[in-house]
Amino acid sequence: METVTNQLVSIEKPEIVAPPNWEPVIMGILCNWCSYAGSDLTGTSRIQYPPNIRIIRVPCSSRVDPWFLIKSLQTTADGVLVSGCHPGDCHYISGNYYARRRFLVTKKLLNFIGYHENRIQFSWVSAAEGPKFAKVVAKVTEDIKKLGPLHLYKKENFEK
Amino acid sequence: MARVGVFVCFCGANIADYVDVPQVVEEAKRIRDVRFAIDYKYMCSDPGQQQIRDAIAQHRLTSIVVAACSPRMHEKTFRKALSDAGMNPYLLEVANIREHSSWVHQKDKKAATEKACDLIRMAVAKSIANEQLHEISVPVTKRALVIGGGIAGIQAALDIADARIPVVLVEKSPSIGGKMAQLDETFPTLDCSQCILTPKMVDVASHPYIELIPYAEVLELQGFVGNYKVKIKKKASYVNFKTCTGCGACWQKCPVKVPNEYNMGIDKRKAIYTPFPQAVPNKPVIDAEHCTMLLKGKCGICAKVCLPGAIDYKMEDEIIEREIGAVVVATGYDMWDPKPYEEYGVGRFKDIITSLEFERMVSANGPTNGLPLRPSDGKVPKNVVFIKCIGSRDEAKGIEYCSKICCMYTTKHTILLHHKVHDSHAYVFYMDIRAAGKGYEEFVKKAQVDTGATYLRGRVSKIYKKGDKLMVRGEDAQIGQVVEVEADLVVLATAVIAPKDNPDLARLLGISYDKYGYLSEAHPKLRPVETAKAGIFLAGCTQAPKDIPETVAQASACAAKVCGLFAGDTMKKDPMVSTINNEYCSGCQNCVTVCPYGAIVTDEVPMGHGSKELRTVAKINEGVCQGCGSCVAICRSMAINLAGFTDPQLINEIVSI
Amino acid sequence: MDYTKQIQEIAAKLFAEDKIDAFVGYRMTGFDKNQVPAIITGADDVSKLVFNDKSVFNLSNYLKHEHTRNKRVGLVVKGCDSRSLNLLLTESQVKREKLYVVGIACDGVVDDEGKKMQNCVECMFPDAVVADEMVGNHGRSGSETLIQTGSETLIQTGSETPIYKINADVLDLGSKDLVQRREYFEEVFENCIRCNACRHSCPLCYCAKCCIDQETSTLYNGANTTSSAFHALMTWSLHLAGRCVDCRNCEKACPSHLPLHLLHKQNEQVIYENFQEHLAGVHEGDRGAFYKYSMKDPDDFIM
Repeated sequence: METVTNQLVSIEKPEIVAPPNWEPVIMGILCNWCSYAGSDLTGTSRIQYPPNIRIIRVPCSSRVDPWFLIKSLQTTADGVLVSGCHPGDCHYISGNYYARRRFLVTKKLLNFIGYHENRIQFSWVSAAEGPKFAKVVAKVTEDIKKLGPLHLYKKENFEK
Repeated sequence: MARVGVFVCFCGANIADYVDVPQVVEEAKRIRDVRFAIDYKYMCSDPGQQQIRDAIAQHRLTSIVVAACSPRMHEKTFRKALSDAGMNPYLLEVANIREHSSWVHQKDKKAATEKACDLIRMAVAKSIANEQLHEISVPVTKRALVIGGGIAGIQAALDIADARIPVVLVEKSPSIGGKMAQLDETFPTLDCSQCILTPKMVDVASHPYIELIPYAEVLELQGFVGNYKVKIKKKASYVNFKTCTGCGACWQKCPVKVPNEYNMGIDKRKAIYTPFPQAVPNKPVIDAEHCTMLLKGKCGICAKVCLPGAIDYKMEDEIIEREIGAVVVATGYDMWDPKPYEEYGVGRFKDIITSLEFERMVSANGPTNGLPLRPSDGKVPKNVVFIKCIGSRDEAKGIEYCSKICCMYTTKHTILLHHKVHDSHAYVFYMDIRAAGKGYEEFVKKAQVDTGATYLRGRVSKIYKKGDKLMVRGEDAQIGQVVEVEADLVVLATAVIAPKDNPDLARLLGISYDKYGYLSEAHPKLRPVETAKAGIFLAGCTQAPKDIPETVAQASACAAKVCGLFAGDTMKKDPMVSTINNEYCSGCQNCVTVCPYGAIVTDEVPMGHGSKELRTVAKINEGVCQGCGSCVAICRSMAINLAGFTDPQLINEIVSI
Repeated sequence: MDYTKQIQEIAAKLFAEDKIDAFVGYRMTGFDKNQVPAIITGADDVSKLVFNDKSVFNLSNYLKHEHTRNKRVGLVVKGCDSRSLNLLLTESQVKREKLYVVGIACDGVVDDEGKKMQNCVECMFPDAVVADEMVGNHGRSGSETLIQTGSETLIQTGSETPIYKINADVLDLGSKDLVQRREYFEEVFENCIRCNACRHSCPLCYCAKCCIDQETSTLYNGANTTSSAFHALMTWSLHLAGRCVDCRNCEKACPSHLPLHLLHKQNEQVIYENFQEHLAGVHEGDRGAFYKYSMKDPDDFIM
């Protein structure tokens, strides 16, 4: 497993113009019981959404450590979506409540140091909300496309 | 050095039509650490799985990535394939290229293919960090606790005990039997309730595998499925059950009279009493709230007349502890108090009674020797009005739901009334007649013909007194007119509600309950007897209102679940649980507060190697941990990791594309 | 504010009564007018102790130190120090019965230039919230003083509840636009030399092994790069979110003079405003905001 070292934190400067045909990469971290099942339902219902999202399965949104988000933005992703069960529906009773607090603080902190707040987004998607998942992904993708590329040096450019 | 095998599935046309599978395989081969990649039409089919098994042996693979449908679909299938090939099943990762790519990007094959490649890269990266995991075996204490000794608890206890599994049956009141023991006859067959119930009660008392603890409450439940420890408070009965012969001399001589709960307060019992003649165990208890000896130290008659000397005024509550493996909760139901129906004069007019009071009156062993009598003057009523849905289906005053049994028991009451008072006439005010059940509709139809009861569809708006009669004014919606019925007696079919102690019990057991106080099942359709907490099951009305056959069926289902749980000496559990690295743990115990299952406790370990000084660290109880990862994310020193979703695994995924 | 005499008396008394093995206070550096923390192990050295408005360091950091661990310790705490001590007690890092806490009713301390420190100007709890004995008492209106004596808690509430003051620097930076903030912090992360002095000086960074140092920390790109500084500082500030007591030990320790308080105060503000939590460490037993939740937490930022 190679690690990414010496990679500069990119600068969201206005002069960075998205290269032609640029497509953002969005990291989607979904809880197993609601959102991942919901995204599966989007699939089985054949609802189409933009192909930019890369999905990671975690047991619960409370498993998501804020530095997963930081790491994603720092290395591969132009934006992150974290999705869990609706409040009260957590498979693990209270996981999403703990997660919600961390998410708010992380989002505000990243915004404070100069990342647009749309770079990390959160949603509650239940196992029955296939259409909602597609809508959420479409919205996040659109938001990130508007913001442009986050990375001055993307990994593949860097290595070549 | 990791050697990863990638297996890409066509899923017929499902994937292959929208993702360029051969190209994905070529891309996969280029990923570092991938030693083997192949595609196949249906990876989940037997020949598909055979390819995986063969490749594992041929290419000495160390982890497997299957790019196919959702892991929620076939993860288990492929894990089994790995195990069959002698590989640890948890070295598998599934890249979901069907639900997450081919099916949702059908218009853009290039993007879908690219995404599929990325998903495989992520799965490969994760699989490299996968560790060999082994199913956790948890030892099982093969003893069940049944809470509640009504028909649900009795049936569950008997069924479990018949499978030669010891049962501890805890009942709150002095005798088992519950609400069913108060009933006269049961719909739709008009079996005598006592006649079918009491043999079962006796079976419970005499069963070698059942330990009956009456007059007791559950105080505390600790542990986890298969390994619970329960604390039971046995209330002081002031009667030594071992020496008491149940002769009854004590309660015959006792001078204190108290309203009789068994007969809904219609007659009196003594301060020392057995709830009813067929009680099991048939031993009296002293009601400490009313006994003058216990309250003021005066009297002591029962001790004087008791020949075996079983009375012990100094008896104290006793705490009993038992180790158990599973719990069946069967705490039954309560009847709703119709006080909010002020316009009916509830509380003001004596001749308005509830259906359970009526049931006691017409019962052969009841306070009135089986005759319904007007509480005001003790006369036999001629015109009796039954009003259904009192509290049920009434958001304003009562509860929203239908209590399910009132239609049927009211029908039964009209028959019982007709049997006991031949020249009587019954009027039934109803909203709907809900008679779904085997033989129920026939029963209602037959009763209407046999008794000649007048059925009036509509709500009663007011009851007022006229002489010694009650005037019941209501609407007959079918003719659209207000009707008034002159009644000697009014019987209210009150709603079934959850026992008021249910929320406390639920908190004590660590299970959830709904807004009405009914205990919640794990899944409303597919897991109606389990709770969300493993090893705790629900029987009878404590989950929702239901009739006797349904209750008995659910109780037996609980028994089957308990027997299934106890089938082996150990239970197998998913190994996706948290683990603690003692070296890194600083003992701040934040994880202990965060864990929703109480799966984390503290432990003392030496400060350093060979050191006598101890420090506190957290310790995970693998049996209780459900693997949510809440503790992992809040652990600042990263001393906790969640097997199957470790930090290296997830970070590998993040940085791999 | 000069409590040198009182503190010397208390320390001498404690040593005389054999109540403590060590006393943690301040002494002069000996070469300039600044002070350094002092761990005194006998009555002989008591005369070295000083306390005035130059006593800036948070001494609860020394409870994790070899000299004080598992010993009976006398400790001087100002308002902010007492809050971090409270958190250490809550998080089972220190045993209360081993401590004799000398609480200060603090008037604020000064920086190198003799100017009152910003955190002292904005301080909501200048009086020690945990103490066996208080030194000085100004019953300052608008402050709440909790004096904990053994198991008893005496609560003296001022005429009004303290008003949370948003940090002036956070407010200032927050008013700038995104690109400016990004550039500002780009500089901050570039200037970080990853010496970890901030971590060592923080009383609440007591982990047996810091996540940044662990073998798995390929995650953190151990090298001294802007990227790793970004990651390390972000993670560090999130680990202190809801726990930081704004004592500014980290800033005093930072050789690059990074404005670390910005990250902490930003988090503190978000937590205080959104979760209706108390400030960190004001009550014993009150864990950081990330270790509890409320059903009423804001939900509107989630789709």
